[in-house]
Amino acid sequence: MKEPILILLIKAVILMAVPAWAHHSPAAFDPNIEVSITGSVTELAWTSPHARLYVDVVQEDGSVVNWNFELPSPVGLMRKGWRRKDLAPGDTVSVIGIRAKAHPSIAIADAILDAEGNPVFSN
Amino acid sequence: MKHYHYLLLLSILFFSLCTGTAVAQWFDYPTPGIPRNANGSADLDAPTPRVGGTPNIGGIWVAAELLKDQCPDRDNCITQMDLPADQRDVARNLEGGLPYQPWAAKLVAERAARRSMDDPHARCLPPNFPRAYYFPQYYKIVQTPDLIVILHEFNASYRQIFMDGRPLPEDPFPYWSGYSIGHWEGDTLVVESLGYRDDLWLDMQGNPLTEEARVTERISRPDFGSLQIELTVDDPKAYTAPWTVLLQSNVVVDTELIEEICLENEQDVQLFEVE
Repeated sequence: MKEPILILLIKAVILMAVPAWAHHSPAAFDPNIEVSITGSVTELAWTSPHARLYVDVVQEDGSVVNWNFELPSPVGLMRKGWRRKDLAPGDTVSVIGIRAKAHPSIAIADAILDAEGNPVFSN
Repeated sequence: MKHYHYLLLLSILFFSLCTGTAVAQWFDYPTPGIPRNANGSADLDAPTPRVGGTPNIGGIWVAAELLKDQCPDRDNCITQMDLPADQRDVARNLEGGLPYQPWAAKLVAERAARRSMDDPHARCLPPNFPRAYYFPQYYKIVQTPDLIVILHEFNASYRQIFMDGRPLPEDPFPYWSGYSIGHWEGDTLVVESLGYRDDLWLDMQGNPLTEEARVTERISRPDFGSLQIELTVDDPKAYTAPWTVLLQSNVVVDTELIEEICLENEQDVQLFEVE
């Protein structure tokens, strides 16, 4: 499936800069394993210490994998103006991030775009 | 029902809806009784508030110096909580660096090699003062004449500073934030603490604080918007000499503390791996 230009640009920039990122725990996530998916939101868990976005992604063979993306704390998101209702089950999203070393479908989300290509939970 | 009854009912409904949605928003509820500019914003340069003959350090505060968001694509990257610079390394401005005892220097190196995965904070343990001054979360100082309480968002924690003239304990309980007493010297609040746990971290580097530590905080509020904490750590078990750093916080207004209960959905610890 052809990726939107915006996603390709974000991926390129993040790949260059990821080692400088201060917040991601290098103990659990590998900055060299970058992931990029598109799927349908099943849940936005508005919890501490990290909000978590669960996304159903259809594989090439038709099976569905439910991805678990780690977001910042809801406290931090709210202080930048975001609210839990900004994403809902059923929304289509594209997410790029850094994968957990130890798990194939857990990752830290670095950017989320909605179905129209607008960034969600961004600066 | 008569015509004017309908109008009255509609008016009541209209006004109750208006006040219900506009005024009752908790997130940006205006802080009462603070100095404001003509445009309604807080006057951060206003003189130090005072109460009962001393400065009033009450209010919500957050660490002042923040590391810039490393995000390369500012418009699209997910917004991160800004990390206070002191949280990365509390001794970053200390000339000559920290005067470690040899075992402490080794310990800090080991913690770096293990990528700080042993950080108690990563396991949702309490935000220990003085480290708690420079987490990204807010803290609230509540000042009364005999007791100052500091509430911290992380794990809905608290710390007490006893202002009633009592002495420091001789056989203290090992507190995460120590046992603190305070008194005013002019416009400076001098806080002395001991009785710390033996295994505390002062920052993400894992700079240690031990059970032998005596910590002094000299706290002042030069204007409405600023809090300065001159922090001295005298911990002969970990360091060969006392050392002093300056912490700064900015006041936060027109909002409220939010609860951040770390254990409610912690999922990262199970993923930790050492290379």
